[in-house]
Amino acid sequence: MYTYASIGVLFLHPSFMSRLLVDGWQVVIGLETHVQIKSSQKLFSKSPTSLLNRYPNTQYNAFDAAFPGTLPRLNRKCLDLALRAALALNCSIKTRSSFDRKHYFYSDQPAGYQITQHYSPFAVNGQFTAPKLGIPVRIKQIQLEQDTAKSVTDARTRTALIDLDRAGTGLLEIVTEPDFRSSTQAAEYIRSLQETLRALGVSDGNMEAGSFRCDVNVSINRPNEPPGTRCEVKNINSVKFMVAAIEYEIQRQRLLLETNGLVPQETRGFNHDSWKTFKMRAKEDAPEYRYMPDPNLGVLVLGQEHIEKVRREMPLLPAATRARLLETYSSSGVTESNIDVLMNLDVSREIPYDGAPESTIGAVAYFELLCSPGRDPKFVMNWMIQNLLGQLSALGKSFCSDYIAVAQMGELLDLVGTKQMSRSSAKLLLKQMLISPSNTPVKQLAAEMDLLSSVLLNTNTASVSPNEDDILHNVCVRAIAALPREIEAIRNGNDNVYNKVIGWIMRETKGKVDAKQTKNMLKQLIDQ
Amino acid sequence: MLRDFTSPFDATVVRLVSNAGAEIIGKTNCDEFGMGSLNIHSIHGPVVNPFQVESQRAAGGSSGGSAAAVAAGLCTAALGTDTGGSIRLPASYCGVVGFKPSYGLVSRYGVVSYADSLDTVGVLAQDVSQVVQVFEQINKYDYNDPTSIDERTRNRAQIFAKERYNLWNHEDLKGLRIGVPQEYFPSELSSSSNPILSSTRHVLSLLQSLGATICSVSLPSTKYALSAYYVIASAEASSCLSRYDGVQYGFGREVRKRILLGTYALSADAFDNYFLQAQRVRQLVRDDFDRVFSMPNVLYADSSFSLNENGEAAASTGIDVLIHPSAIRTAPPLEDARNDSSERDTLQDYVQDVLTVPASLAGLPALSIPMRTTTDLADSASSASNKPEEENWPIGISVVGQWGSDDLVMKATSGLYSHLVNPDIHWIFIKSSAPTRNNQSLFNYKIRFVRNYDN
Repeated sequence: MYTYASIGVLFLHPSFMSRLLVDGWQVVIGLETHVQIKSSQKLFSKSPTSLLNRYPNTQYNAFDAAFPGTLPRLNRKCLDLALRAALALNCSIKTRSSFDRKHYFYSDQPAGYQITQHYSPFAVNGQFTAPKLGIPVRIKQIQLEQDTAKSVTDARTRTALIDLDRAGTGLLEIVTEPDFRSSTQAAEYIRSLQETLRALGVSDGNMEAGSFRCDVNVSINRPNEPPGTRCEVKNINSVKFMVAAIEYEIQRQRLLLETNGLVPQETRGFNHDSWKTFKMRAKEDAPEYRYMPDPNLGVLVLGQEHIEKVRREMPLLPAATRARLLETYSSSGVTESNIDVLMNLDVSREIPYDGAPESTIGAVAYFELLCSPGRDPKFVMNWMIQNLLGQLSALGKSFCSDYIAVAQMGELLDLVGTKQMSRSSAKLLLKQMLISPSNTPVKQLAAEMDLLSSVLLNTNTASVSPNEDDILHNVCVRAIAALPREIEAIRNGNDNVYNKVIGWIMRETKGKVDAKQTKNMLKQLIDQ
Repeated sequence: MLRDFTSPFDATVVRLVSNAGAEIIGKTNCDEFGMGSLNIHSIHGPVVNPFQVESQRAAGGSSGGSAAAVAAGLCTAALGTDTGGSIRLPASYCGVVGFKPSYGLVSRYGVVSYADSLDTVGVLAQDVSQVVQVFEQINKYDYNDPTSIDERTRNRAQIFAKERYNLWNHEDLKGLRIGVPQEYFPSELSSSSNPILSSTRHVLSLLQSLGATICSVSLPSTKYALSAYYVIASAEASSCLSRYDGVQYGFGREVRKRILLGTYALSADAFDNYFLQAQRVRQLVRDDFDRVFSMPNVLYADSSFSLNENGEAAASTGIDVLIHPSAIRTAPPLEDARNDSSERDTLQDYVQDVLTVPASLAGLPALSIPMRTTTDLADSASSASNKPEEENWPIGISVVGQWGSDDLVMKATSGLYSHLVNPDIHWIFIKSSAPTRNNQSLFNYKIRFVRNYDN
């Protein structure tokens, strides 16, 4: 339900609005998002929430199936995750709220009603600013409720199958005020909300798997005229479809208004094949839900102390993490885009249940652990992004700290940093370590593979010994003798050919020489 | 409807009494989903009141089977549920003791819900001490019931109740302050053929002679309680029963009637005028009770309330228990109740609950015991071969206390009980009523507490 009476002051600013008019029409959009809470147990029962790999109808108990004599019992872990979401969205949290029964008859609703928070949701009047939108979106309310069972219809056999595993899973319904003026804004809000809730461990925000679903309310009106009649498009499960549904609605409503002047208030669905919305029911067919306060659950009391405890234990929000990383590392030459790469890696990581601390180290944490003993952040960042990620993706893997422990990666970097190993040797070693992980100390591994710079085995200084210079000198002389055509090309000004010569030297020395020094040496010799 | 259903788990109360060594001998008949005051709305047929089987009178409902089983001596005690009087009314009609504890003391886990905010598990037995014995076993906090009251609140109530109890002289009832609510004597009671009024007077004078102080009190919201009760109970029933969808299950006539009534009360247009209004009345009923009792209601009173501050004032004006007849009449003949024609005044069935629903709405403990009639029961018992006259049929009297004062109610009642009832009387009547084909109805068990027979 949206109250169109109060529209965000910011959006009424003429210059802002004029930018967002679609052929003279102002678009007004509000969103309701259903977010599955990442808890190990359901909202009111002790049965496990459904994982992806499971047989249907294995994860439910007598309560989920609405057997006689069963009673609900609120899962406090769900509540704490809900509180995290409410705090992140700057809602005012009500110390007293309550649960209601929403009655409707459908085969995916075993009890004949859904327990939700209709009369008194636990969080209201929030505000959320998606970093890339830069403007605050008002959050009307957040309510805790039960998910339904899953029904699967087989058009061929004309049967409907019910999977009770999803029944009773905790959901957050996050309702915005109608503050969006374009599908782009709505999409940015959804992406940002998804990122935030993942960072907080509230939900895995997986739209394809159905743990993050949207209802969109769209209306259009002429500027300075009252808002138009809205239509609601239900159950959209991807950002792409949401944008398509909004765009389709704008065009459909425009056509209606420009021809007969009326948009009937409707609930609509979105067809994934035709990318069009279709009518589900008219306003007059709106179901009578017979909301009734749930007599079993009574008043939900949230102590201020408990709210503060949840606030203190909240993981940092993505925006705060980004800001902190920039502040800490930008002076060392780490760029904003470097940080975005790292943070994007963390977006796809596994979210633990019940808001527990993460069992694996994310990319940001991995980076910071590598930097902490005083390693140069820029150096660490370059190795992570260029080499580690590059090699992982060549192996068809995405980032995970399990492939190479922080300590091992650190040893490897130190060997490079102290010039005990050349970059190219280190890359080779890294590849080897990723393919066949072992606990052998990195230096020993390097020695076994004969990858240590032989001349530099016992020195940590950056200065180069004459002996080493001689070796480099000799191999460069041999290269010049062996590759006359290439040297001729270089003399004629084609500097790219240097790489070919260096490659020959690398093969000869098994990569033990430093590419930069080699190039300098070659230059000297060729220019003589 | 649930005839072939076996629950995968035991109700908490069944587990508790079994663990305490009780043997469960069967399930008892009751009105379908506990809806009814006469135990006539049952697929198994009506329960016949075993007081005098030949007379074919109702046992009362909805836990009529439980009351009848106890009255017929089939069991020491029976469990029942009481939503608006379903234990107390049949106890009154059958001449046994029926106790509805404070709401939230006994777990409802495993009880088929009729109206969650009113449903209370209680005990029926031959005498008060047996009720106490069973109640002690089931009076436990249960995590599985979200409305189960925590230990701290139970203890707080118990401390207040004990303070009051210590003020009596325990040899007799001197110091006990008993309130008689003016509003509990409706016009139905005052007809000359109704023996209840005179019996009640007899009990009150007995109590007075035992040293108890009798005062008249007023509970002005009582007259709205019955209407409020039926709106709330029906509304909750329409919700609780929506899991038995109409596609796969068929309901009896009475259940259908209440579902329809409740569905209407919850519809958007009627919600304010019916459901919310009824909730307001419910609060007024609670307030009425809280005003007259000497003990505070620990569920609502703010925690700073202490007996030292208010105790003195309360002792001089407040009452420890209320006392009133359990029903407006003795067990009605089944003939009348069975008559399903439209001429029958079905409203009368609902009026039966008028004296029991206020305690249900407020969640208070209420205990019904058989009271001696003005004619000497012992005399009538000795000539038991004669069909008992109207005035000889059992009538209950109810003792109602503040929330959590269950012990106090039972202690006050057992003091009265020992002076009131000759326990032998029941046995004489049972012997006089030879088993007939009608006794069969006692064995047609309806699933109410469901046991896991796999164990």
